[in-house]
Amino acid sequence: MKKFLNKPEDFVEEMLEGIYAAHPEVTHVADDLHCFVTANPVPGKVGIVTGGGSGHLPLFLGYVGDGMLDGAGVGGVFQSPSSDQILEVTKHVDQGAGVLYLYGNYSGDIMNFDLAGELAEVDDIETATVVGNDDVASSQPGEEHKRRGVAGIVFLYKVAGAAAAEMKPLAEVVRLTEKAKARTRTMGVALTPCIVPEVGKPSFTLGEDEMEIGMGIHGEPGITRKTLEPADAVVDEMMERIFAEQDYAAGDEVAIIVNGLGATPMEELYIFYRRISQLFAERNVSVAQVWIGEFATSMEMAGASISVLHLDDELKPLIARGATTPFFKHIAK
Amino acid sequence: MTMDAKALPDLFNRYRDRFAAEKQALIELDGKVGDSDLGLTMAKGFTAAATALEEKAPETLADGMKTAGAAIAKAAPSTMGTLMATGFLRGAKALDGVDVMDTAALADFWAAFRDGIAQRGKAQLGDKTVLDVLHPMAETIAAQAQAGASPAEASRAAAQAAKEALEATKEMEAQHGKAAAFGEKSKGIQDAGGTVACILIEETSAAFGA
Repeated sequence: MKKFLNKPEDFVEEMLEGIYAAHPEVTHVADDLHCFVTANPVPGKVGIVTGGGSGHLPLFLGYVGDGMLDGAGVGGVFQSPSSDQILEVTKHVDQGAGVLYLYGNYSGDIMNFDLAGELAEVDDIETATVVGNDDVASSQPGEEHKRRGVAGIVFLYKVAGAAAAEMKPLAEVVRLTEKAKARTRTMGVALTPCIVPEVGKPSFTLGEDEMEIGMGIHGEPGITRKTLEPADAVVDEMMERIFAEQDYAAGDEVAIIVNGLGATPMEELYIFYRRISQLFAERNVSVAQVWIGEFATSMEMAGASISVLHLDDELKPLIARGATTPFFKHIAK
Repeated sequence: MTMDAKALPDLFNRYRDRFAAEKQALIELDGKVGDSDLGLTMAKGFTAAATALEEKAPETLADGMKTAGAAIAKAAPSTMGTLMATGFLRGAKALDGVDVMDTAALADFWAAFRDGIAQRGKAQLGDKTVLDVLHPMAETIAAQAQAGASPAEASRAAAQAAKEALEATKEMEAQHGKAAAFGEKSKGIQDAGGTVACILIEETSAAFGA
């Protein structure tokens, strides 16, 4: 293991201390660094809380800020935050309009967010839940509820955050977020594994010339492992699965995220996008918004994911709206 | 005897003392197929619940069970802690408007406790989990309520059913959670989560003077 660390067991807390030192617009509550909230709550606005394990920056806490989220429960590396941490964040971000829990489809997170919601109810705080499940590779069509949440959740953050910023009520924020969820798909590919600091070695290996299509952001098994191919062929295989999921008709519009998993350089992400843009042009589908960079990583894993949000008249302006967080800045169009 | 809100601190003091006494045994049991934290988290969780009820005397049975559930969630953020917290919170809902715990209320409480844990933990019967003890326990109390038994009689019968159900988990192969990785090797060992359920009903039964 070759990482910049002091002690492996301090990895998460020291990362958080660095983030709080760099960004005074975020802070923590309940005397717990893992209870991450915006320092500038908006009175009367629906609060949006996310959370999950560490090791995925900018996910999850990186999207807490203006026009996006209000708080995040921060877990250990690849571990869920506790229900109590989520509850503390919930109490803090509730501004009287209720709180949306928006996080990825992982059993530990579901258990803790659901319990936090029950505890919040005891405190008379209304909560609603939308669970991101954009990873096409993790289950067949028809079994979408089993799919994991990956980088596509950033679209859900953007839509939910914009809807809440427009002071829409909780039920409307939920409806729009569910709509974005139904229209978001992601495919990923991994080239190398990642290393959990306290473990010190990779949990699996990939051959020097191998790739794994569909691998999850914690190294969950994908669809196929095979010899690495030219970038265009890799994109074609990934996009074929995404195109098979929804009818992207001529004249439709999409938003795209090309996401690096941690060790893959921006250059390669743009080589990916070159081919992606060709495929959409062939279909006469226009790309209204594209974000290229790191949005949901797996520490030092090399690889990338492609997320597509099939826009409509309602979602397009929510994606276009401005947002500013420590890790995500978008100028309104 | 019967049980009202004023009796809840005593009930949770019993739970606390028993889990403190069983801590080492639970650690060893869980260590065979898990990460050995069960004894610690249960001792911590029920100590926190007992303390919370002593600090703030509950006005109703439902209030007290909610307070206990919230305290366990805070003090024991492990899978079993989360499940126990869920059980007490769901049980609290079943006790809404109930002043005195009669056998019917006891049956409703444990049925809601079981259903909450089944829903949150997503295990099936036979997976060798806490559910394999909670389910026969709750069914026994329901049958006793139907038959007009007193809470003491019902909880004593449920404790006996729990003991037998716990024994039966030895024959099961773990299908859920961390223990599932041990598969065949989990045979012959009684389930640690089931042991927790067994302790709860034994102490409940004792609190009713059975």
